[in-house]
Parts: sequence; C-alpha cells; structure tokens
Amino acid sequence: MDINGLRNGDAKIIIQGMHPDVIQSILDYDFLLGRKQPSVVGVVARGRKKERFHWGSFEVEVPLYSALADVPHGVLKATTAVVNVQSARNVKLSVTEAIELLPKLQILSIFAENVPELHAIELIALAKQNNILVAGPSSVGVLLPGYLKLGAIGGTMYEQLIDARINAPGDVAVVTTSGGMVNELIRVVTGRGRGVSFAIAMGGDRFPILDPVDALLLAEGDPQTKEIVYFGELGGTDEYRIVELIKEGRLTKRLMVYIAGVVAELFATPPQFGHAKALAQNHNETAGAKKDALRLAGAEVFDRFDGIAAAIKASPLEEVEPVDDAIKFRRKSYFMSHISGEVDGNVNLLGRDLLQTVQENSIASLALSVLLGYQVRSKKLIDFTDLVIKLLVDHSPNVSGAVNTMIAARAGKDLVSSLVAGLLTIGPRFGGAVNDSARAWLDGAQGDLTPKQFVDAMSRKDGVVPGIGHKKYRLDNPDPRVEALAAHVPDGQSTYLDFARSVELITTSKKSNLILNVDGAIAAIMMDLLTKELKYTPEQLRELVDVEFFNSLFVISRTIGFTGHYLDQRRNDEGLFRLDSSDLKYFPED
Amino acid sequence: MYFVPRRKISEYRAKTIINSLFGYEYEGWAVLDGKVPKEVAGKSFVVKVDQAIKQRFKRGLIFLDVPKKDLAQKVSELQEKGFESILIEPYLLHGGSDERYISLRREREGIVVSFSRSGGVEIESHSDSIQSGVFESFAIRQLSEETGFTEEQLLVLRKAFDDLYLSLLEVNPYLVKDGQLKILDVAIEVDSSAQLLVDSWGDTDVRTPAASLTEQELYVRSLNEESPASFSLEVINPDGGIFLLLSGGGASVVIADEIFTLGNGDELANYGEYSGNPTEEETYRYTSQVLRLLLNSKAKKKVALIGGAVANFTDIAATFSGIITALYEHRDELAKQKVKFYVRRGGPRQAQGLKKIKRALQDLDILGGVYDPSVTIPEAVNNLVKGLK
Repeated sequence: MDINGLRNGDAKIIIQGMHPDVIQSILDYDFLLGRKQPSVVGVVARGRKKERFHWGSFEVEVPLYSALADVPHGVLKATTAVVNVQSARNVKLSVTEAIELLPKLQILSIFAENVPELHAIELIALAKQNNILVAGPSSVGVLLPGYLKLGAIGGTMYEQLIDARINAPGDVAVVTTSGGMVNELIRVVTGRGRGVSFAIAMGGDRFPILDPVDALLLAEGDPQTKEIVYFGELGGTDEYRIVELIKEGRLTKRLMVYIAGVVAELFATPPQFGHAKALAQNHNETAGAKKDALRLAGAEVFDRFDGIAAAIKASPLEEVEPVDDAIKFRRKSYFMSHISGEVDGNVNLLGRDLLQTVQENSIASLALSVLLGYQVRSKKLIDFTDLVIKLLVDHSPNVSGAVNTMIAARAGKDLVSSLVAGLLTIGPRFGGAVNDSARAWLDGAQGDLTPKQFVDAMSRKDGVVPGIGHKKYRLDNPDPRVEALAAHVPDGQSTYLDFARSVELITTSKKSNLILNVDGAIAAIMMDLLTKELKYTPEQLRELVDVEFFNSLFVISRTIGFTGHYLDQRRNDEGLFRLDSSDLKYFPED
Repeated sequence: MYFVPRRKISEYRAKTIINSLFGYEYEGWAVLDGKVPKEVAGKSFVVKVDQAIKQRFKRGLIFLDVPKKDLAQKVSELQEKGFESILIEPYLLHGGSDERYISLRREREGIVVSFSRSGGVEIESHSDSIQSGVFESFAIRQLSEETGFTEEQLLVLRKAFDDLYLSLLEVNPYLVKDGQLKILDVAIEVDSSAQLLVDSWGDTDVRTPAASLTEQELYVRSLNEESPASFSLEVINPDGGIFLLLSGGGASVVIADEIFTLGNGDELANYGEYSGNPTEEETYRYTSQVLRLLLNSKAKKKVALIGGAVANFTDIAATFSGIITALYEHRDELAKQKVKFYVRRGGPRQAQGLKKIKRALQDLDILGGVYDPSVTIPEAVNNLVKGLK
C-alpha cells in the first residue's frame, strides 16, 4: 500500500451505490484535469441501465449494473478504485465483494456512518491481507490532486472544485478524522499558494480501517509529500502511537497538528461530540493531553486553527479562471438519442449528415441501422433484413389486423386512424410472436435444459412454444418462406436455429403441423446473424428482446401492408361495413 | 440519525443474556412501571436503580436485604428520586474476599480480556491485580485456570461477544464455588449500530444515565432519532451569551475550541451540530430550539454563530432557508434583545445561501457579519467574540 502507486495511470472507478452528486463531482474533476474520458467506469445500482451525467457543458453516459458481479469481466479486471456509498449494514458485504471481484483494486472509500464496529474490525484484516487502502467508514474520500478524486472530498459542485485549487499536486499531505475539516484544510493549504500531495478523510469512527498511524506512514513514504497537516480529535489513543513513530524515527517529515476538543473541559460530564470516537473517557484521551504528548515529541501543535495557515510557508497565489457560463448554467437534457440529432443546425443521422447517410443506405440497411441505433454495414444482415421486411409486408387481408384496418377505412376514418386500428391488433396472438420466439430460443440455447425438457416446460407453462406451429403448413408440406429464410443462416454460427430445429423435431413428432414457422425462423436466424456478423453476446441479445426489437421488424413491414389495404378500401368506397345477423350468433340468457 | 454507537444496556438484560449463555436461569425482575411483579418469590431482596448509573452504593440507589413486604415502598422511593428503571433480585450473602473480575472489550487489535481474583466494586483500586491481553494470546487452558470459567464457558463467551455485537462485557463480581459460577453483577455495552442484526437486545434495553435534560435537548434528541440526518444539542450554560448553530462533527468542535481558547468559554451557552444534509424543515425545527435557548438566557449581550467548515455535499442554500424561516418567526424578540448573528460557511450553493441569509439578517436588523470561506474560522470567531463587547 503506497500513495505513489495511485499516481500511475488514470484511475478506473466503480461506485457501489448511487450518489449522483458524488459521481458528478468525480466526473467534473476528470473534466477539469483535461481527461478524455470519465474515470467512473460503472455504477452498481438497480433500476436502470445507464445514467447521464454532465461532462463539462456536454453529457456522458455512465453504465449502471444491478450487481457488481454483472459488471463486464474486462471492466472488473481494469478497476483500480471504488467509492462505496452503500447503507451501513451493507458495507461489509459489498466491500468484501469488491475486494474479491476486483483484482487490480488499490483503494476504496466507505461513505456510510454507523457501520458496526465488528464489521469494521473484520474489514481492517481483509484490507491488510489484500494490501488495499480503505478509507472510512464515514469517510468523504481521498483526493490526490491531479490524479484522483475518490468521493465527495473537495466538494460536489463544479465551482467548489475550481475554488479549492486542487487541479495540480503539491507537497503538503492533509490527514483528518473529519469530512468537513479535510475540505477546510485543503483550502488552508491551497490558500497559501501551496498544493496538496494527497488528502484523506479517515472518518471519525472508533475503528477507522485506515487509521491515523497508517495514514501518516503513507505520507512519510510518499516521495511527493514534504510536510503533513494532521487533524485529530479528543477520544482514543492513536496520537500516542504517533508519538512512538516520531520517537522511533519512522515519522521524520514536518508534522503540523491540530487536535480538536479542548472545549470538553467546560462540560460537567465528558461530552460525546459529533464523531463516534470523539469522547474522552480518561485524561489520556483528552485533547490537551494528546497535544502535550505530540508537542513533546517534536510535532508542531497549534492551539488555534489559524496557526496551521501561518506555519505553512506561502507561495504566490495564482488567479483562478472563472467558470465558463456554459458549465455554470448547464442542465441535463430531457432525452438522449443515439440515432440522430442536430449538429450545428444540420440534422445528422447515424453519425453523418442526413443526406450522405441516406444515399449510402438501402431501405433495409437504413431500417436495421435505425432499429439497432448505429450504422450497420454487414451485407449478410442487410440482405436478411431485406428479405424479412419483404416477407412480412402482407399475408392477405383475411388476417385480423388487416380486417380492422379495412373496417376503420370503410367507416370513413382517415389513414392514420385506420392504420393504427390494424397496428393495435398486433399482440400475443397476432404478429407478436417474433419477439416471444427470440426469447424462447435465447432461454433454450443458453439454458441447461435439453430440447425435450424445454418443450415440456414450455407446454406446461403456456401450452404452446412460440415460433412453432402453423394452420396450413405441415411436415409434408413445408412453409416455403421458412426455407427461403433458412438459406441465410451464417456459416459456423447456427446456435439458435439449431435449437429451434431440435425443438421442432420434438413437437412435430407429436403433431405434424407443429413445425418451425416464419416468426420462429426469423427470430432464430436474426440472432445467429447478429452473433456472427456483429458479435452480439447473449446479454446483448437479451437486451434486444427486452426492448422488443424483434417485433419491430414485423411492425415496420406490416405497416406497408395495412396502408395498402386502407388505400384499397378507400378506392373501393363500399360504405360502412356491418355484420349480418347470420354472421353473429346471439345466445340470449334464459 | 446521530448515534452514540456504544450504549449501555440494562443490568436486567445483561444478566439475562449472560446467564442464558451458560444455561443458567437468571433470577431477577425488571420493574419499569413502578409495580412489583407478582412472580417475585423469596424472602430477602436487593432493590436497585437499573439506569446505567455509576456508584449506586455511594449515591444510595441500592437497598440490600429488603423483605418482601417492603418491596413496593423501596421501589417507590427510587421512583421518587426520578428513576424509572428498577431491578429486584434475591439477596445473597457471601464473603467479599472470593469475588472475581473478568471483562472483554473490543479493541482494534482484537478482543481484550482482563481478569482478576480481586473483583468487586473496588476493582479500580486493585488495578495491579488485573491481567490483560488479546483473548487469543492466552492459552485457553491457562485462561480457564486463572478465571475459574471452564474452557467451554470461555469460548461461549468469546463467540457471543461477536454474535451479539458487544463492545464491552464486564462480569464484576462473580464467584466460583465447587466448579459453579455465580454471577453477581454484569455490565454490557452494545454496538447500537448493529441493532437490526441482533435479537437478544434492542433499543428498549438501552439505558442512558438519567441526566436532567432541558426541553430543547429532549426535542433535539427525538428530532435526531426520526431523521436520517444528525442533530445534537447540549446546554453548557443556560445564561451564556454565545450561542452556536453549527454544522459538521469536526468543524463544530473547532469553533467551540476557538471560543474556549480565546478565554470566552464561560460565555458559551451551548454546543451542538447538524450534519448529513438535513432538509429545510428539519433545519428549521433545530434552529427554533436553539433560538428558544437564546431568548431564554439572562445574559445581557447575546451573539450567535451560524457556521461550519466548507461542506462537501450539504446544500448550504437549502439548510439556510430553514434557519431563515425560524429567525423570522422570532423577529420581534430577537430585535428587542439586540442579538447579533455571525455566519461563516462554505459548500455547495454557498453563494446563494450566504446572500440570502445576509439579506435576512439585514432585514431583521440582527446582522453581525456574514463570511465565506475566504475568512478563516478563527477570524470569524474573533469577530463573534468582539460582538459581545
């Protein structure tokens, strides 16, 4: 464990829990340092996939994961630092998990107050064993100016970070038990025109994981640190161990000290101040006794807080640049789009000028790209999409969606109303099976069940397997559309179609029309193509299923068909449609 | 919520816990409503206050050898002295010379066990007889020989110390007779931050020494208990002239220290702080209590400091809004008493907050001075103290 090691390369930080102000302040600090990318690589928090934060006057997305174990392997392997903002009782478990899952973890800070003492003691051992610097509990974090801001330390507003003058490193270390006072002392140092080498808020608990002796030894061992400011409080006996360090010659750097709590003398019974440890149970633990001992050992101990500032040799103070108005008045936008937007007054589509994009794309490639959110260039995927869109355009006006469009059209409704009447019919029994099939093949191919067990489970649950079965086609009279689709299966990647086929083998043995249908085939082959051509992982395919990507193909295509039937009906102009009494059987109550 | 993490639990609960660990039946009855329980059986009893109070013998809060018929009277005697939690136990005679002492306490290096053959209330005067060390540093057999606990009992005790999240366990005194333990007195401090993880004790078992608290202190305690933010308030001198409305566990002590070091400690009326980003409403409620103390003080000249260090994440503008509301509520009395307010604070939205409070103090005609972090804490305190003159 050493401070200098934290200055090698940019930190990669995971936040355990959601604390938007703290995360924003870390990103602001990265931006101030001129980094190209945020140091926060992920947030462990439930509910969403991404959260947007300011990046200067722009915005960036930070990925959210519902558990640390869900963070992609590569990110886990690269993470060097953690801010833990979990509740007190989740601290032990979550910190232990971080230490287990993050092989490159160097430093972690714990924000929660009221972590049980026993948990803190157990974490002390774990941190030592794994050689990880753990600040807290109840720490506002660790700051290495110019390198790392791990927590709220230094402030949570952009203006505060500017005012604190913490962009560049210096040679004075700040070590405190208090979160507010670490900030105050950083400003005392930078206000003298000097810089901070590093600052740590250890937290005011009885058993801080990194304790004052550890922290001062870190400062002693840090080549950048020349002088140390230490803020302690009454309560506990850590200061006597510091005295020992000085006497043994293990702490040789200039040590400036303030120990708070002399006011306790005014109280009839020993008062408990704001921090858990801040209670003197005997004379040794009073602020006065600890100050005397440190003074005797040779530390510079100040009775008034101003003494610290006066003792720090001043350097000329540089002017700070005022905060840019674009940042000062920034606010989060309401939406974000990965597909298109305005750039300098012109519309961009899929990353380039609209017209340029349009001219370089066929209808199928444009549709697929817009659906996936980025420009797709795989010819095989585009050809397949082209076929799918064409195949799904119409399947005769007899189907329920088309019937609804035609009825609305004949009732004199306009284009959009009639089209919507048809589209609203799309659902579990009509046209909505592509997505369900994709989910089924994904579950089946990635799960542990054999196709037989899978079919049994599905039929027990819903009675049917999506993507299987057709009214007309059967084993001896196969669906020619499925054959045409199957010709597009990529070489060497047919996981999903193979699974669908093995399911079909079982279902057709029961009933000959339980064959793989168009919906099932589209889903399976699309997933195989996405895997082969665009390297989609099963998790990414799952996301496409969750957002209903696979149904969107049907919706887009069939919109053409419904629109056609609407126009056709309007041209036919046959007047309002009504069912004849023979078309609807009336069953009166007895 | 602001915790004093280590809390003493009642002697009744402590003894129940320790006896059940060793499979003993604890004979004792807790009295919380002043009524002697019907189950009380025996001839002679001890009646004592069970409220985390030291030196009960000296203070006359223990009655020995009380016959059953006198129990109700002794209980009501203690009640009249202002104590609610009382314990009744059978009275046992034994020689003082065979009393022993053992304690376990949580320290950074591990669980430290201390023991002595010269136990009893005078243990502190026998401190030479106490042996101490991390539990695991002793051979269990040696520890058993020294203490009279069986090896198994020691291990049970050691395990329960962690399982029950204890911070301090003191059995003093106990007797060992014919291989049997007789536990006479037990004190336990629990780690109250683990309250939700433990079944054997709960917040109703926690006992606080019965100090006489002011109405304002009591109010702030309950505010603290119901809020996720922290609030504390202690009255030092009700007729002092310097009042503190501070924020942050560290900075509040520094500010109080500065006043003390300047030689104005005897003027200091209160100590207290709020932290953890309280809401505007909570800050209003807290401020109202401090203002009430301030207005009640008989001091001729009064000043108040609203302050703190440079906050990391507490919203200055929001917390100041609550303070301003409370100030306006007492505007007439504050102006009449010519109170002067000084403000020194930094943090998120400090510019808005400081501007707003300065305008309010001007409007109320109680402005002493408003300072941002470019003015140091001692400079602000100097001005505050000058305002007293």
